[in-house]
Amino acid sequence: MFKAIGKVFGFLLLVLGIFLSIGHAVTSLTGGEKAAAGAVEISPEGGESVYWGKGRCFTCHSMGDRGSAVRGPNHGAFGDKFPLPMGARAVERAKERSAKTGQTYTATDYLVESLAAPGAHIVEGYKNEMAVVYAPPISLNLKEVKAVIAYLQSQGGDVNLDALEKNPSEISNKFFAKIAAAGAAGGGDPGAGEQVFASNCANCHTVKKGEGGGIGPGLAGIAAKGVKFVEDSILRPSKSITPGFETWSVTEKDGRKTVGLKTGESGTEVVITKATGDKVPIAKAEIKEMEQDKDSSVMPDNLNEAMTVKDLQDVLAYMMTLKAE
Amino acid sequence: MNKMFSSRFLAPRAALATAFFMLLGASAAWALEPNEYRQFLGLDSRKLVWFLAQVKLFFGSFVLGVPLFAVIIEYVGWKTGDAKYDKLSYEFTSLLSVAYATTAALGGLFAFALFGLYPTFMSYMNGIFYDVMFFYALLFFAETFTLYLYYYGWGWLSGREPLGKNALWVLRALGIVMLVVTVVFLFGGFGPKMRGDTRMFMALLYMLPVAGGLFIIRDRKSAHIFIGILLNVAGVAIMQAANSWAGFMMSPAGVDKEGVLTGTVWQAFENILATPIAIHRMLGNLAFGGLIAGAYAAVKFIGSKTDEERAHYDWMGYVSNVVAIAALIPLPFAGYYLGREVYSTSAVMGNNMMGGDFSWTFIIQAILVGSLFLISNYYLWTGMTRIPGAQRYYGYIKYILIALVLSFAVWLTPHNLPLSGAEVGQMGGSQYHPTLKFLGLMPAKNAVVNLIILATFFSFLLYRRGNKVDAVSIRAQGMTAKIVIALAGLAAVYLTGQYAVSLLTMKPADLDLSADRAPYFHVVGYLLLAHCAASVVAVVLALKDRGKFAQYMMLAVTAFNVTLFLGPYGFVVMEKASPFLRNVAVSQFMQLIACLILVSAIDVFLFRGAKEIGRLQWGKIPMRSQYALLLLAFIITMNMGLMGFIRSGLRGDWHIFGLMRDTSPWSFTPSNFTMTQMVGLSVLVFMVSISFMFWLGGLAAKGKQAHDGKDTEKPLADSAREVKNV
Repeated sequence: MFKAIGKVFGFLLLVLGIFLSIGHAVTSLTGGEKAAAGAVEISPEGGESVYWGKGRCFTCHSMGDRGSAVRGPNHGAFGDKFPLPMGARAVERAKERSAKTGQTYTATDYLVESLAAPGAHIVEGYKNEMAVVYAPPISLNLKEVKAVIAYLQSQGGDVNLDALEKNPSEISNKFFAKIAAAGAAGGGDPGAGEQVFASNCANCHTVKKGEGGGIGPGLAGIAAKGVKFVEDSILRPSKSITPGFETWSVTEKDGRKTVGLKTGESGTEVVITKATGDKVPIAKAEIKEMEQDKDSSVMPDNLNEAMTVKDLQDVLAYMMTLKAE
Repeated sequence: MNKMFSSRFLAPRAALATAFFMLLGASAAWALEPNEYRQFLGLDSRKLVWFLAQVKLFFGSFVLGVPLFAVIIEYVGWKTGDAKYDKLSYEFTSLLSVAYATTAALGGLFAFALFGLYPTFMSYMNGIFYDVMFFYALLFFAETFTLYLYYYGWGWLSGREPLGKNALWVLRALGIVMLVVTVVFLFGGFGPKMRGDTRMFMALLYMLPVAGGLFIIRDRKSAHIFIGILLNVAGVAIMQAANSWAGFMMSPAGVDKEGVLTGTVWQAFENILATPIAIHRMLGNLAFGGLIAGAYAAVKFIGSKTDEERAHYDWMGYVSNVVAIAALIPLPFAGYYLGREVYSTSAVMGNNMMGGDFSWTFIIQAILVGSLFLISNYYLWTGMTRIPGAQRYYGYIKYILIALVLSFAVWLTPHNLPLSGAEVGQMGGSQYHPTLKFLGLMPAKNAVVNLIILATFFSFLLYRRGNKVDAVSIRAQGMTAKIVIALAGLAAVYLTGQYAVSLLTMKPADLDLSADRAPYFHVVGYLLLAHCAASVVAVVLALKDRGKFAQYMMLAVTAFNVTLFLGPYGFVVMEKASPFLRNVAVSQFMQLIACLILVSAIDVFLFRGAKEIGRLQWGKIPMRSQYALLLLAFIITMNMGLMGFIRSGLRGDWHIFGLMRDTSPWSFTPSNFTMTQMVGLSVLVFMVSISFMFWLGGLAAKGKQAHDGKDTEKPLADSAREVKNV
């Protein structure tokens, strides 16, 4: 039996040797460890390290013959489909964008928009599936996004650090503010957050200034209160109730109990709006007891069950874009 | 209880209990606190944990995989009254008993390492999964005690005297209640809100087996089988609990962005990837358990001194291999489902998997998976040399081999080639070969993986009929044959038909496609309907004693649809309606499974009781076949290590994806060479350890025989004489 075991382990070592040689050969061909990038400067070199590192741009894009991904457009000059490298191509794409929107886009604006709102102007033949690079798990900060743009500009175009750092255009500034807001919220996609808001919150809240007065307070300018406050308000709505939105509990003489916001009151009746939005007029003469519950909000306290972690991150990022006009 | 009992089971339980109290003692901490990392003897903590986790998983997979088929084999022995199956099942279980203690001890060591080296991360996980961890520890007691009863109660619960009528009535009543509860649960009648796959997983793997087990109990032996079922239920539950943590690390749920639990523990437990990982691991464990048991049989065969021993271990190796192939066939689809859910969780993670850091790791994986199928076929072909009359089918082998080799070549072709500048220039400035680049895309991969499975299945059919003179009349076999074949046909029609209906009624807008893309859905829908029609025709032909023709027709139609048609058509879909490609893959899977079900059902009756040219000559198989079995075990072990690397590595520089960053010095994706080094070392340590344990188990068995003064197991010669084609 020991002879048999000897043969078997000899065979095992042979197999493992082949396995190791395959691993070695593949690593020689494709490169070694993939470490995350450290802090970067806003420069083509800094952008290059983000592009091929932390930003993971290379998982979908190639740069000419460098890289192998085909899911997104190649950022170098590559075949008939991409005769111009990205820096030069951005100038042409900016012209198309200007014609389409009526606004004047520079090459920098186009690149900024491509990273901040990748679905805005999709290259023909590709899907709207680019990840939001300033949201988890990639979570690039504004500086890193700008560095990537500088790197892309360096591919056959003019690197315009002035437009990235000191004098950004109005278009670029708008997107930079969006990315910064998302960063302040701990990362998240404001675009997706707007949809989450529409599905979960818009029945009770509005985001336009001067609106509101529904079941929940208007949220125009809510970003000024800070992300912690907003997050607490979503997850623990009873913790801090906006004045005027306290919960009232009305018990009628026949025992019926109605809980909600007091949204109307006259000499003869009060109107309670329930969390469902139903308005319930109650004659004062029928009221046995009416009391305010300062410790409880009408807002559901189980929103966390309706939202994933990503939903919450996204909706917080969206809230942080709601600055006072 | 004897000494072996305490040493095997009690000591590791103490280690586990200690680790568990460490869990309970950990304080709650949240995801955004600064991470603390420690080292042991200056070693790379990540590599240390990687190694321990991998070796622990190898043992765990074996321990969870073996009882799955040991119970099935015992059941076959009980139903047929054939003692050799019972003996084989006992032999498998004895392997399990020696590996169990090490698995538990390794679990304790792994937990110590995690808590010691990654205290912040583990403290956080404990804060979230406190309840589940408690439950997990209790499940170990359930598994241990059912294993006690199952292994040590083998002789005690071997009687065939029927139980009393009253006891039977009670058991049947309990079985009915359990069955009703299962059905109600399956259709969402009770239980927390959960995904459909989780509900099905729990209903089919926990509740239904228990219900079925209650129904079969009629004597002591069947009660023993029921204990085996309970052992498996506990094992699967342990696996599901551990998978929920792995899934949570990839797709956290039930917590806010700071990691505070805002939902329920159930939400965190049932995260998006928990069940897809569990399904994949379940099948993987079964295949792994089968192949490791097969390797054990191969080593024993190589060292055998008598024909009787060779016959027995040849048969044991064959059964193990059949078990492994049965699990390997659906495994690629479970992998596809898991991959799809990874994409659904995060496109970044999905892209990194197939097109980023791990794209070349998948090429290595393709080499390993392709080798598994190729070598499994080779083993079956060499096995045909011990079947009198199988020479009639040798001619088919070269065609199967051609199909397999071509499919294998496509399966491992990368989309892009790592080329030098000069080589790129020679290819017209493109990194993509003008032809080969298509073979690297999913439509080509999906087409050939289906063909590989069909070819393997065809090899198995040839093996089964190797010594049969000719098919027997199905018409003459009574109602059972007709009902089973008709039901199999119905299942095949249902599988493909329901998906055809869903594709024909699917709205392009559901996939973010314009309305004019609908015809691409309809083509696949009509193809599925054609497959339904073929299934109906096959049933009719089989019932009219044209079973062989029915089988060949089903195989031909399926091969044409899933490979020749949907393979190239996948490229059209990719170009015109790319999001629909995943539906094409599902349609291929549905047709393949429908074909396997129907053709297998026909095959069972086609050769039932058929005249034989001669008896299988167990043991008369070339020695190289045993090295094929060993190679299969080595490859699946390496493949499991590689897949673990991918699954864990997908999180990139996150301990918990998107929630808790890995800020340790080891926060980078290791190279493929590092992966092969780590996996190779784990495989070597596992193989050496398990061989040592099997040897010890053998010593214990010999000692027991000597102590009892007789051979407590049935003589191998009896077994060797009894074995026949299974």
